[in-house]
Amino acid sequence: METFIKKRIKAIKKGDQNAYAEIVELYKDKVYRLCYRMLGNRHEAEDAAQEAFVRAYINIHTYNTNMKFSSWLYRIATNLSIDKIRKKKPSVYLDEEVSGTEGLTVYSQLPSTEASPEETLESLELQETVQKAIEKLPEKYRSVIVLKYIEDLSLQEISEILDIPIGTVKTRIHRGREALRKHLGHL
Amino acid sequence: MECPNHIIKLMHDYLDDDITPDDERELREHLQQCSACAHHFNSLKRTIAFIQHASHITPSSNFTANVMARLPKEKKMVRLGR
Repeated sequence: METFIKKRIKAIKKGDQNAYAEIVELYKDKVYRLCYRMLGNRHEAEDAAQEAFVRAYINIHTYNTNMKFSSWLYRIATNLSIDKIRKKKPSVYLDEEVSGTEGLTVYSQLPSTEASPEETLESLELQETVQKAIEKLPEKYRSVIVLKYIEDLSLQEISEILDIPIGTVKTRIHRGREALRKHLGHL
Repeated sequence: MECPNHIIKLMHDYLDDDITPDDERELREHLQQCSACAHHFNSLKRTIAFIQHASHITPSSNFTANVMARLPKEKKMVRLGR
């Protein structure tokens, strides 16, 4: 796999755009999924993911082959998504109280059921609930949660992608999980 | 019942697959006798299951073509000349 990537990158550096199309094909699903979970909107995710690939292409000469290519690509996509989140209007965060209610948070208003996670998730509405819970996380927690649970990456890889110490990755995952638990754990 | 804070920390270490055998034993024993912590632990695991089972979504069918169309033009010239 890494040999395949290395060969393609060499070709791309020589100006072979077809080689880049193969790289895009290989990673498009993962990069798109990452952007979608970060941004919560298909249209924005499509645009952000495409832009991530364009940036990677333009900056291919700065890619350091000591890093996994996928990690480098995820770094570009994550940073780009965070930029886009920051440009958007600040949204309501998880524990913020809903105006006009006392002590009620956004998620305590959600219906509670007693089905298994799989059964519960069959409902589209609950899929949206999960996505909204992710979106309400401040971006530093959101990015680690998405990389860990949507992209299924190791703590080591996440540390490399975000360029932060592994201890910080752990702290952020712990806080992210606790914040999500308060709003999804009872479903 | 108020439980020591470090039990929560152990839960997360366990979920990160980064727990020593001694700590794991301590966590296991605590969870067996403390229903509040057992509930907390289960809801963390449920939460993770929800996140992991989030539906798989895929980009549009012309995604790659769109990316290729957005690449800077001069590179295409180089390719033509090879």
